[in-house]
Amino acid sequence: MKRNLRFWSRYTWESAGATLTCAAVLAVISLFGAEGLDFGTFAMVVPYYLVLSSIFMMLMINTGCQTLYVPLLLSMGETRRNVLLGFHYYRALIIAVTMAACAVIWLLVPGEVSAIGLRSIPTILCVLLIAAAVGSVMGTLFVKWRWLSMVIIILICGGAGGVVGFAGEAVASGKMSLAKTVDIVSHLMELPWWLLAAAPVSLGLDILFQWLLLRRQEVKL
Amino acid sequence: MSLHCENIVKTYSGKDVLQDVTLDLQPGKIYGLIGRNGAGKTTLLSILSAQNPAGKGTVTLDGEPVWEHRKSLAKICFSRELNANAESGLAAMKAKEYLRIASTYYEDWDKALEERLVKLFDLNVKKKFGKMNKGLLSMVTIIVALCSKAPYTFLDEPVAGLDVVARERFYKLLLEEYSNSGRTFVVSTHIIEEAADVLEEVIILHEGKTLINADTQAFVDSAVHVSGKIEEVDAATAGLEVHHPETVGRSKGVTVFLRPGQRVDESRDVSVQPVSLQRAFVALCGEEEAK
Repeated sequence: MKRNLRFWSRYTWESAGATLTCAAVLAVISLFGAEGLDFGTFAMVVPYYLVLSSIFMMLMINTGCQTLYVPLLLSMGETRRNVLLGFHYYRALIIAVTMAACAVIWLLVPGEVSAIGLRSIPTILCVLLIAAAVGSVMGTLFVKWRWLSMVIIILICGGAGGVVGFAGEAVASGKMSLAKTVDIVSHLMELPWWLLAAAPVSLGLDILFQWLLLRRQEVKL
Repeated sequence: MSLHCENIVKTYSGKDVLQDVTLDLQPGKIYGLIGRNGAGKTTLLSILSAQNPAGKGTVTLDGEPVWEHRKSLAKICFSRELNANAESGLAAMKAKEYLRIASTYYEDWDKALEERLVKLFDLNVKKKFGKMNKGLLSMVTIIVALCSKAPYTFLDEPVAGLDVVARERFYKLLLEEYSNSGRTFVVSTHIIEEAADVLEEVIILHEGKTLINADTQAFVDSAVHVSGKIEEVDAATAGLEVHHPETVGRSKGVTVFLRPGQRVDESRDVSVQPVSLQRAFVALCGEEEAK
């Protein structure tokens, strides 16, 4: 189990680098046209970019992880049970690190957006859990029905591109004021019952799907 | 300590790839696993190392199951043939990363040996698998197999794509590691003639069944090639296990497998010659073409 933790911790570290890069790109885009934006306000918004990039990376990295690293570890004599546990440890770590980083930034930079952010943590946690489960199901689809997964990946990438483009345009044209940002993120303070229910259900289904796949999976490299 | 599999059955799309395969791999031996393409060699090695589940049957190491048993799995290394064209994403991985993961997962990984072999094979570990040719990929699998120090190590086509110098080097390294550690190696290969000298035991798989599981020398010694006029050959080999008959005009040549106590009737006008492992294998598994 020790070597399993070592491998997945290192993998998390490498994924974190990619997530930070993605968040930095989003943050830089948001700076265009944001004249007069003070550092404090900018810092309060950064955690949302971190959450967005975490969601995107979990959707993308989980797929690669299941097609390459899971069979690779099985080929090196790891048990299927440990591979499953390691994979979920990695995802829990990514979510925990993202949440912790967001919370620390919001605590260090007090303000209206930060207060909303801190109160949004349960909602963000549910969203991250669902994103992780969707990413994992996509990985399963990628192993079994590659074409279907490719279609979903293209749609997600298209959607992500659209969001970035829309946000970039809004920032550049000065439509994304602080008041507007506060208005958007304040929706996250509410945690609807369906979201609260969907998070554990998707996590449970994800673990079930993964185990069903893993227990009979054949190693192909 | 022995690795034992019993009545292994594996079916793909309704076709039995392995049919009731039972084997006992003893410690401290080099086994050669030979068979034609599609005979089930890779599937068997995958099942023995729990990389693939068996349809039926059991695999045990020292009486303990291998499937989902970390202690047993730690004693087995199946260094798979790497396919950089596969859709797994392996092409984007660097050899360095692959070796690092292997060193994390194999408890007794020999780092000094890894460095020595990387230097010996002149392998650029910063290169991605997708940029490597078949020979370089084989070198990586050889390094993982030898450095893992696993008591049971399986190599699937380890010399595929290697030039003759590298192949010689591999067999030398294999023997060196074998004599130093007493590990058990199972080497699956199509280049039988080159490997014959290092294989103590030979396992021949044919159409999913174990045709032969014997001491290599005893197996080779049990086979002879008998040639001469058709009627003389037929008379000299009457009642014996005859394979792979080849007739040219009035002459005939056959490979005969002798059981203990059996002999070719050399009073007949025939020539009796020893055969190589490859010739004996072709005689056993190449019947379809001969017919």
